[in-house]
Amino acid sequence: MIELVLQAIFSGILVGSVYALVALGLAIAFGTMRIINLAHGELVLLAAYTAYFVETNTGLNPYAAIPLALVLVGGLSAVLFLMINRIREHRELNSLILTFAVGIIITNAILLAFASDVRTTTSPLLQDAVSIGPLFAMNGEVVAFAVSLLLMGGLWWWLKGSWYGQAVRAVSSNRDAARLMGINPVRTEYVAFIAAGVLASVAGVALYTMSVVQPSIGHAFTVKAFIVTVLAGVGSIPGVFLGAILLGVTEALTVTLASSALQELAGMALFLLVLFFLPTGLFGARARRG
Amino acid sequence: MLEIRHLRSGYGRVTVLWDVSLTFREGTLTTIVGPNGAGKTTLLKTLAGLIPYEGDIRLGGEPLRGKAWDLAERGIILVPEGRMVFRDMSVEENLSLGAYPRRCRAAFASNLERVYSLFPRLKERHGQLAGSLSGGEAQMLAIGRGLMSMPRILLIDEPSLGLAPVIVKEVFDIIRRLKEEAITIVLVEQNTHIAVGVADDVHLMRSGRVLLSEPAANVDLDRLHDLYLAREAQSA
Ligand SMILES: Nc1ncnc2c1ncn2[C@@H]1O[C@H](COP(=O)(O)OP(=O)(O)OP(=O)(O)O)[C@@H](O)[C@H]1O
Ligand SMILES: [Mg+2]
Repeated sequence: MIELVLQAIFSGILVGSVYALVALGLAIAFGTMRIINLAHGELVLLAAYTAYFVETNTGLNPYAAIPLALVLVGGLSAVLFLMINRIREHRELNSLILTFAVGIIITNAILLAFASDVRTTTSPLLQDAVSIGPLFAMNGEVVAFAVSLLLMGGLWWWLKGSWYGQAVRAVSSNRDAARLMGINPVRTEYVAFIAAGVLASVAGVALYTMSVVQPSIGHAFTVKAFIVTVLAGVGSIPGVFLGAILLGVTEALTVTLASSALQELAGMALFLLVLFFLPTGLFGARARRG
Repeated sequence: MLEIRHLRSGYGRVTVLWDVSLTFREGTLTTIVGPNGAGKTTLLKTLAGLIPYEGDIRLGGEPLRGKAWDLAERGIILVPEGRMVFRDMSVEENLSLGAYPRRCRAAFASNLERVYSLFPRLKERHGQLAGSLSGGEAQMLAIGRGLMSMPRILLIDEPSLGLAPVIVKEVFDIIRRLKEEAITIVLVEQNTHIAVGVADDVHLMRSGRVLLSEPAANVDLDRLHDLYLAREAQSA
């Protein structure tokens, strides 16, 4: 029993790291634009299917699909931004409707192209098991974890150390003051949206290699990103990481101890509990640092 | 150096500034005083590109038009009313954002050193979140951030707002030092006594108009206060 629980915690941590990427993408776009991109999960899904497409058509490792995913998802993010940026009135509400609709279009395009079957990597390399002490994982899970950590490190460096990254943080923190620093806020929002697309691209490919995907689960990624954001409070990268891992572990424990049918429900329950009892997030009213 | 002719601006359909004409001379400190609602902040915001205007503003003979971020590139730097520091970033990150305009990036390290020598308190607190600074420290940070932008003209809006008198004095000591370095400064203040004391030129605004423009040496504080409080009708 205890091994099962430990194993669930371990698997939860591995998948949680990818949830963190998804959540950070949503958060970075929200931070600058104050707009919730309801199509974010579908962007992740598109990247996952790009990996599937590349793997089945070329036989290459799914990670070879990242450049193509970056082009597709990054390009779609850019188009989405340009559409949102044209909204003149009631931007908060209208952007929800717009991004919701784009999400539906992406889901149905994927359904048309690839049918509704469940897909996952066929690469024996990624599916092989490794044992770490008493715990087991697929190579794919370990690689996805490492890739996620690397990308989060890169994001952290970018937000702290690059001029564009600092502009993203400045606009998120105080838009008027950012203008006075010589920062063009709209261009910065554009950069943030594309950064969110980059995160979604890598997250999608990683999820394809470690788990299963099907066209209907795009919105579930968006919901997970919401839950993580609520868990983390308004987010620092380490906070989002911990929140995402908590979600991953909760889901994995639910599958192990109860039933996989309850997996999504457990995330929601966690979400509601935190909203009721810790409305500023698990880590209190922590200042946002990117 | 900065010439304003027949400036009219406001917010949407609300006109706040009516036909304002002013000249700020290179290397001098100009103080603008006036009661609440006179339009002083509106004037600085207009100069900084935050509000559109009608009329003519020229910097060194060149027309000054554009968005705030373009004007920051051209060296029009506003230290805004209420400081507007990036509260959830550290002191040093705030200063670093001051160096965001491209022309300021190469000199970032030397400017940072200069700001830290002007404000040793900021150096002590370089890793602290700006949101946790005291009012005086936040004002120093806002000014330091402005200096990181290598201003051709530095617009400072009510630096004494909400500060204890000894801190006000400290802030004005710094402003005096900046003046000695021949930075062109436009200072908006309600604290007329101290603000006139540091100034070369003084302008009084009320109800969106300039009522009085004089060299600081000629200013009679009593008369200024009369005008300020709109008692001129009685005293005339
Ligand atoms: N965003 C705004 N929208 C509409 N009207 C505004 C706005 N900001 C200021 N005003 C109006 O413009 C007028 C001038 O305001 P402004 O802030 O320029 O005055 P001020 O001289 O800076 O006053 P204070 O000394 O109180 O800071 C006021 O009547 C004010 O109500
Ligand atoms: Mg004001």
